[in-house]
Amino acid sequence: MLGYIIRRLLYMIPILLGVAFLVFTLFTTVGEDPVRIALGNHASPEAIADLRAKWGLDQPLHLQFLDFLKQIITFDYGRSFNTGEKLSELFAQGALVSLSLTLPPFLIAVMLNVSMALIVAYYRGSIIDRFATAFFIMAMSISYLVYIIAFQYILAFQFDLFPINGYEHGLRAIPYLVLPGIIIIFVSMGPDVRMYRTVFLDEIKADYVRTARSKGAAEPRVLFKHILKNAMIPILTYTVVAIPFLVLGAFLMERFFSIPGIGDLMINAINTGDFPVLKGLTMYIAIGYSIFNLITDILYAYVDPRVKLT
Amino acid sequence: MLKLQRILLLSSLTALLALGLSCKPTPKTDDSVSGETSAAMNKMVFNYLRGTAHKSLDPMKQFDSASADLVANIYDRLFEYHYLKRPYQLSPVLLAEMPTLAEDGLTYNFTLKKGVRFIDDPCFKDGKGRELVSDDIIYSIKRFADANVNMLSYMLVEGSIVGLDEFHAETKKLGKETDYSKLDVPGIKKIDDQKFSITLTRKNPLALLPFAATQLSIVAKEAVEKYMEDFERHPVGTGPFYIKDYSRRGVMVLAKNPNYHGVYPTEGDPGDAEKGLLADAGKQIPFIDEIHLPLIEEPQPAMLKFQKGQIDWIGLDKDNFNKMAYKDEQGFHLNETFSKKFDMYAEMGLVMEYLVFNMKDPLLGKNKALRQAIAYALDTKGYIEKMRNGRGEALTSITPIPIAGSQAQTKTEYYSYNKEMALKKLEEAGYPNGQGLPEIVIEYRSANSATRQDFEFLRNQLATVGITLKPGFQTFSAFLTKIESGNFQMATAGWAADYPDAENFYQLLYGPNASPGPNHSGWANTDYDKLYMDSKYMPNGPERFAIFEKMHKILQDEVPVIITWNPIYFGLYQKWVGNMKRNMMQDAPFKYLKIDTAGKDKGV
Repeated sequence: MLGYIIRRLLYMIPILLGVAFLVFTLFTTVGEDPVRIALGNHASPEAIADLRAKWGLDQPLHLQFLDFLKQIITFDYGRSFNTGEKLSELFAQGALVSLSLTLPPFLIAVMLNVSMALIVAYYRGSIIDRFATAFFIMAMSISYLVYIIAFQYILAFQFDLFPINGYEHGLRAIPYLVLPGIIIIFVSMGPDVRMYRTVFLDEIKADYVRTARSKGAAEPRVLFKHILKNAMIPILTYTVVAIPFLVLGAFLMERFFSIPGIGDLMINAINTGDFPVLKGLTMYIAIGYSIFNLITDILYAYVDPRVKLT
Repeated sequence: MLKLQRILLLSSLTALLALGLSCKPTPKTDDSVSGETSAAMNKMVFNYLRGTAHKSLDPMKQFDSASADLVANIYDRLFEYHYLKRPYQLSPVLLAEMPTLAEDGLTYNFTLKKGVRFIDDPCFKDGKGRELVSDDIIYSIKRFADANVNMLSYMLVEGSIVGLDEFHAETKKLGKETDYSKLDVPGIKKIDDQKFSITLTRKNPLALLPFAATQLSIVAKEAVEKYMEDFERHPVGTGPFYIKDYSRRGVMVLAKNPNYHGVYPTEGDPGDAEKGLLADAGKQIPFIDEIHLPLIEEPQPAMLKFQKGQIDWIGLDKDNFNKMAYKDEQGFHLNETFSKKFDMYAEMGLVMEYLVFNMKDPLLGKNKALRQAIAYALDTKGYIEKMRNGRGEALTSITPIPIAGSQAQTKTEYYSYNKEMALKKLEEAGYPNGQGLPEIVIEYRSANSATRQDFEFLRNQLATVGITLKPGFQTFSAFLTKIESGNFQMATAGWAADYPDAENFYQLLYGPNASPGPNHSGWANTDYDKLYMDSKYMPNGPERFAIFEKMHKILQDEVPVIITWNPIYFGLYQKWVGNMKRNMMQDAPFKYLKIDTAGKDKGV
């Protein structure tokens, strides 16, 4: 197992190098020019040259790229072009805020959606299944933004059930996170339940299910003990790989609910060409994605004894 | 199943940990305070939203409106634009009176108000804010002119104070070695702790205007030296408020400076007294105990919070204007439902929107009749009505209407939609009914839906006379690069007043101001340039306005730009907000505002 993990970690090096190269090329060739954005309309050529030099953007591209690699290795991406704030502080604070927004509804959604998918799969072909399919397809075809606007207007404004928006740190954040959380769960239902249902239906047709039933196993036992366990690999793939993206928050949610997380930070960085923020976040996500992929593979062996990590 | 439970349990613990860790108060990050909580503590709390996060609270390093709004409330300048009087005029803030001009017409003598103190801060001896002295003014002007500090706004005073340009150049040469005590500016002299003088390079009635800009706020040397890079997050000023909670992306909280030196204006415009705007004349300001400034970037939650009474003042955007307000012959009104709850203002902005032609373009630059044809084909009034809900006025001169020397005084005329004339001019240009005329590309600085709608409107208008328009939707920096390198045919543009004087608009076509200066058309006309220089240093009056008329006629004939419209800005405020008069030169005049707390509690 240890040898497998070390080998996979080594494989990550060329992947991350590739990501770094791609990120660097994309933002230096097609991204906004941060100097022009910072200096605005009528900057003198001298001011432009001075700021370019201050930010190291006057250096040859290969030196800038080497500097970027050094930042990746040391995890020190310096300060934001836009505000001069230390990125380590910005990321740490923003990531926790984003996680407090996305992780609880993510966990609830996994449990809820898996359960609903099992029920729908159990009643496959019935009116319940057909109604659920129609409902989830309809729910999926409505834009995320519509849910945010409608839920915020109806539940927070009209019925006063939640704060309209805002955020406070610590446990005081909870009232502000409930409505965004409900929306995240609601929006995830359509695609997740349909995906899990398909997985469960594949399993329901399998020989071992027929065997279990023929041996007189009760339907709940068949569903929860046999089918769910055997459907874990696709479920794990789907859920665990999503975890690093939770740190990124939910951009629209953060924006509409004034939650100062990473998603909003990233979008503002794209708009203002704040390259250090973009580089840092993209690399953190790439590293997170690679690590969680590895975790997923390890979990495969954990949930399915047939899988051997060699 | 057990394994799944374990995974979920582990994840739940992580979620709780995230919430728990975010409990830790971290200095200089988001440590929000809800407006509702403090309001309940019987304080006079003003809730106002920030639509974008500020960039820097170092006055000399900021040039964005989000930063300027905060800086204006934390720091003071020598002057500000009078809160009530129109047209806009300077009034002293840190000065005992307006400065006197010496007989040579070049030297201004200033006397500081006594008893002005910086806010208490550890950067001062014993943590007690010390009194403001002339050295602070000189230090702040030098810091503003330091090329290593200020990369954004030095042009506001460039060429106007004796020796300051040389100081600016020297700081650039010396870099981090710059030592202000060793670099003298001959035009700025300390007389004593309360008095100083500034000598101009030439007679210039506009010379004092930059001293009302937030970039020329007065800072304390001790604070700059103590906080260094963090000074932009740790402001120390003499202003009406200080930062109680710094939260760039959360709720910024400003608290009242209890020792503030300012008083509410004792004079205003005719009618101000009747509106109750002089009821607090001469009283010490600020009235508000705290200002809560949440960052709300989307209009929907902002408007919902306003309607709930959780925001006290809000700008009215196009979509909400459609829902809440209307225009008739008498002007702008709120719908009945909203007029019972809120008050509204509609104030003409100090902004001029226009279209620029690249005079180096072989097609447009060489063909005056073609430019005139386009000007005749534009229906600016129709654009304002259909695309802007009537929220603007068509301009017939380059100067926004509230500024002295605009069409209100000069009675200038300009192109208005005339299809026959457009076709006639097209024929004169060599393209009868547009035949043989190549596509013309117009550049935009964004690609959002509003921009695309604007383009469609323009395209349809020009198509009626046979002119084909093609869009160039650019990112902001790509747009600037294209415009400044002269790589364009036509472009959309707008200019907001740096200071409320017509000169600030006529300079947009002054020949030597060609790109990277603001004259992006690259147009140069010796007669215009001479008239511009003649008018630049003149006081307002019939003589100056007559020169403006002559310049306008040249612009109308040559058409290097098409002047279009002057936006009107709308805002709503709660009925419990007092002393509200929209001042376009002071976007966040919180020190003059007050809250009727009893009315607010009742919701009226």
